[in-house]
Amino acid sequence: MNDALQFLWPSFLVAVVLVGIHAYFGIQVLARKVIFVDLALAQIAALGATVAFMLGHPAQSIATYGYSLTFTLLAAVLLAFTRAWATRVPQEALIGVIYVVAAAMAILLIDRAPQGAEHLKQILTGNILTSGLNELAVIVPLYAAVGLLHWLLRRHMTGVGSLVWEFLFYATFGIVVTSSVAIAGVLLVFSFLIIPAAIGVMFGELLSRQLAIGWIVGTFVSAAGLAASFAFDLPTGAAMVCAFGVSLALAGMLYPFLRDNRRWAMRSAISTARWIGAAILAGSALQLAAAPRADQPLIDMAEYAIPSLRALYFTRAEATTFADASEHAERYRREAEQLNEMERRNRTQGQALDDFSVARISSFMKSYGEMRKGEQFVMGEVRARARERVRWGASFGLLALSVLVAPVRWRRHQSTDKTNKQC
Amino acid sequence: MVLRSGLIVALLALASPGFAQDRVLVVTTTTDLRSLTEAVGGDRVVAASLVPPTMDAEEYQPKPQDVLRLKQARLLVRVGLDYDLWVDRLLAQAGKPAISRGGPAYVDASFAITVLELRGMSVGPGDGHAHGSGNPHYWLDPKNAETITANILEALARIDPANAAQYEANRQAFLARLNSKLAEWEIKLSALKNMPIVGYHNSWPYFARRFRLDFIDFIEIKPGVPPSPSHLAGIVRSMRERGTRIVVREPHEPERDVAFVANKAGAKVVTLAASVGALPETDDYISLFEVNIEALTSAAARR
Repeated sequence: MNDALQFLWPSFLVAVVLVGIHAYFGIQVLARKVIFVDLALAQIAALGATVAFMLGHPAQSIATYGYSLTFTLLAAVLLAFTRAWATRVPQEALIGVIYVVAAAMAILLIDRAPQGAEHLKQILTGNILTSGLNELAVIVPLYAAVGLLHWLLRRHMTGVGSLVWEFLFYATFGIVVTSSVAIAGVLLVFSFLIIPAAIGVMFGELLSRQLAIGWIVGTFVSAAGLAASFAFDLPTGAAMVCAFGVSLALAGMLYPFLRDNRRWAMRSAISTARWIGAAILAGSALQLAAAPRADQPLIDMAEYAIPSLRALYFTRAEATTFADASEHAERYRREAEQLNEMERRNRTQGQALDDFSVARISSFMKSYGEMRKGEQFVMGEVRARARERVRWGASFGLLALSVLVAPVRWRRHQSTDKTNKQC
Repeated sequence: MVLRSGLIVALLALASPGFAQDRVLVVTTTTDLRSLTEAVGGDRVVAASLVPPTMDAEEYQPKPQDVLRLKQARLLVRVGLDYDLWVDRLLAQAGKPAISRGGPAYVDASFAITVLELRGMSVGPGDGHAHGSGNPHYWLDPKNAETITANILEALARIDPANAAQYEANRQAFLARLNSKLAEWEIKLSALKNMPIVGYHNSWPYFARRFRLDFIDFIEIKPGVPPSPSHLAGIVRSMRERGTRIVVREPHEPERDVAFVANKAGAKVVTLAASVGALPETDDYISLFEVNIEALTSAAARR
């Protein structure tokens, strides 16, 4: 736990700062309907840095930053005009074109200077886990200045103003996005931008209310994502993006309860859940009956969670074979690992093994690998045969369960037609 | 740039017919194999490598010109062990049976190498590689150059028997030079005995085995997946416990993640080249080791 806190608090602070500015920009972006503008701006900034790199400037220099900034400002001019141009073609289409062309141009440039590939990758794939106080020292004053500017000019930042205000919006947004993407990566910055803002807009009318909701949700979800990434040993950025996705789904489910008639919402939620459950059960029944040897997602998941479920349809002989194969597979894995570990230790400790002994170890490891694969094949085969044997009965059972779960009122079905309404 | 000049020379060789008949055009996947081919072929061959030295050869995306290069090549030398799988598709496109798998002018340099960390095809990634067929970074053991050059020699002698004796002599001279260097390097690196090292990617087992170096862990355990916080916390903890002062990174690996781990544990980052040309002054196979060993010993000396 101590380890976790020590590792995660700098990333958490960075996440809070990023949520702070991006929830605001996200609300603006949603209002303007330019969802992917952050990707376009980040890509343009990366293109600027690539050009600087091609001209021989080092990665972290003022010159490189200058190129990035200049390119971003030029893109801001272009973006400010896109709304005026977007009469027959939607603005999003133009933004998408800016994004792909900038990305493609960067690739073409990189092709001329192979050293740049990693450079370009580092601009666009930050890792929030390895960011910390150094990054905060740069972004806190920068984002505070941008935030203050927007607050002072709040009357002009509504998205209906003149080209100058639009330019200013995209320019400041570009500066923010460029630094954020270098810290947290494209995926996570997009989540910071859109998801807290979307939840804020769902539940609030005023900008202040929307912002407050976005900030609270963003901070809480960031913490949850970071904690999950530590607890379940997951890559941090990806875990946080998924946490944000889950939060939006939950907000979507909660929405009707807070907005509409609660009883109606509850009833429709339950009946939707029952329909989904019935559909999954019926689908699994059909899959089992039609292709018993194929993957059975529902049954596989249930058996993964509760292995003893297999006892329901395995004969005693099958159960013994299955357990035996599983035990052997695990033993072969252990043996191979032990050999590998022995070879690894021997690289530094004791008398060095000669090539012949190492080759022997390798050949044993390979054999263990193949033997393990053989045992796994046996396990799969036993299970497939058992499922083939019980396919009709089990499918019928699943189908019956599906009918029970489905929210159809069977009893009154014949008496009144109207009660058959599936909400 | 070395690649470009090599390519220009190769194309010039093709442009002038008399010259082209004289010299054997060899295409290799990596710069290391190019350097070793040059060591065997001497001035009888023109070698060009497909992957630029600063790129990760495991993630290389071939270009249309690569097919052209293969079509013109008389010999292909590849790393094998699933390291340069993309070359199989290029070979299919080039459609030249002689340099395709099983052909007389196809060299899988990993043939007869003593492979480390072999798991069999059925076992998934566990220690930084999705390679069931073993860790593919075998050229980083200078002793393996004997086997690699033998594979190249065999094929060269097959397609150009007139010069076989010359190739054999070149190889012997090169191995003599390499072996005297190897003795020097072993003495130099004995200063790093019992000194734990952390790497970014598991590129170094062959190097570690030859020079008895102790790589205790790797930052990236699955290729292309960023490390999880608990894995990083574990590395930092074991680095502190064992007083690790060196973190090894290759030029194409992310700078910030490595610096983050090094800072937390109070260690130094040492940038090593895993391929010829990845760092300045690593112009050929021998200077590749010279530069790496110099970087390691000077980092170990700085306490």
